Amino acid sequence: MEYVLQTKNLTKRFGRENAVVGLDMKIPRGEVYGFLGPNGAGKTTTIRMLLGLMKPTYGTIHIFNKDLKKEKIDILRKVGSLVENPSYYPHLTAYENLEALRKILGVPKARIHDVLEIVRLTDVANKKVKGFSLGMKQRLGIAAALLHHPDLLILDEPTNGLDPSGIIEIRNLIKRLPSEFGMTVLISSHLLSEIDQIATTVGILSKGKMIFQDSIEAMRRQAQQRIIFKVSDSDHAWRALLSKGIKAEYKDGVIYLSERSNEKVAHAVSTLVHEGFSIYRVEEEKRSLEDVFLQMTMEEKIE
Amino acid sequence: MIGKILGADFLKIKRKGFWLLTFLGPFGVVALQMVNYGIRKDYLLKQSNDDWGYYLVNVSAFTPLALVLGIAILTSFISSVENETNAWKQLLALPVSKMSVYLSKFTVLAILLLISSVLLMVLTLVYGIFLDLGEEIPFIDLLKYSFYPYFAALPILALQLWLATVSQNQGIPITAGILGTIFTYSAHYLPDWMIWKWPTLRNEWNEPFFNVLLGIGVGILLYIAGMIDFTRRDVK
Repeated sequence: MEYVLQTKNLTKRFGRENAVVGLDMKIPRGEVYGFLGPNGAGKTTTIRMLLGLMKPTYGTIHIFNKDLKKEKIDILRKVGSLVENPSYYPHLTAYENLEALRKILGVPKARIHDVLEIVRLTDVANKKVKGFSLGMKQRLGIAAALLHHPDLLILDEPTNGLDPSGIIEIRNLIKRLPSEFGMTVLISSHLLSEIDQIATTVGILSKGKMIFQDSIEAMRRQAQQRIIFKVSDSDHAWRALLSKGIKAEYKDGVIYLSERSNEKVAHAVSTLVHEGFSIYRVEEEKRSLEDVFLQMTMEEKIE
Repeated sequence: MIGKILGADFLKIKRKGFWLLTFLGPFGVVALQMVNYGIRKDYLLKQSNDDWGYYLVNVSAFTPLALVLGIAILTSFISSVENETNAWKQLLALPVSKMSVYLSKFTVLAILLLISSVLLMVLTLVYGIFLDLGEEIPFIDLLKYSFYPYFAALPILALQLWLATVSQNQGIPITAGILGTIFTYSAHYLPDWMIWKWPTLRNEWNEPFFNVLLGIGVGILLYIAGMIDFTRRDVK
């Protein structure tokens, strides 16, 4: 597999404190890589190192198969980023903010209108950013990151502090990027629900260590699922199932079936119908990724 | 590359009062003489036979103070442009070297201060002619009094820029700026090696040009030291 970004044994120490330890990060081309971890896990520190804003204590970073230490400027030409809270110049208009970056990046002026269009800020292009809402500032930050057609887009908590409609808007925007513009996206968040809806690959960081890195499907597989039955007279229904040799659990008026194959479920249903119970609901209970995530980070704490 | 960053930096200082300050400095210095000569012109003209020379000395009494104070304000302004929303991280994640970013900030201020010096010269000349101080205008001295302090103040610019860009707490560069202004104010009592004395063009050999040479030499050294330190630090 071709990796756009690869780190080896990446470590950052602040004094005696280890912020990031031995990180081996691999981001395949064209993926949306969800970088997940609780607050303070070291996500921002990692991202700052990936952008050359911080020097690693040791370890290497290769982006586009180039060593960041040696070819930083070359690499950054193809990387767009939004780190933590959006940075902007409040006394300048949205257009001027992008112009200040455009001058350095050397892309055509028309590109400013393009990116303003993408993040839907065209109407306020000539208003000072001072008066923008947080969501608009965040979108301006994304516009700035897109300005030079990056191959790799690094977004640190891009939906932080946004209202639900803002979150959805940014989420839809990010989802479009790989297919429409051929970008690879690294997006960090402390919210699993966020990553769950955008990412195709996931890396989970806890206390500076990578505790999981694989496709989102692999992570979902870890989320065990059960079938829930809600029936009349559930206590007796449960006993009836057990007596027919069907494994089930009973808790608070709900029957849980751990076998999830179609045949087993059909068998359980027909058994209950034959025994004369009314079936109200048959549902699949998905253990949310949230639970998996919590479990993983909890395990890390206990160790 | 540096040209592009400079272009961006000049855009960023729009509407921030940089240009106003660039004008206000020299205007203030000459305006003080407008008051001085406006109130007691006859008395002042009696003090010396060389009316132009005496006028230039009067003007230049306040030039170093305005310059040192102006440097403190401008350096803290220019770093506040990036500090305000911590735009350093955005700026330095662009394909630019940290050295050129630092050089650009220094260059912007050096250009603004140079413009101030030109304005000082023009305003001094215009008010001097208005005062009708005589036919023979001492252009050489006018140039010296307008531009020598500028070059002699370069080490202060380098020092203040470094302080303003690397300090987490902007109280540090501001304190240094105020102290520097006080030093310049009391330059008479300072030893020659203090950089805050240099813009006053005084030294024990009575040769103002030494201060220019020292200013450029030490200015470059302090600039390089500040730049190296800036590039070695992790971005805020």
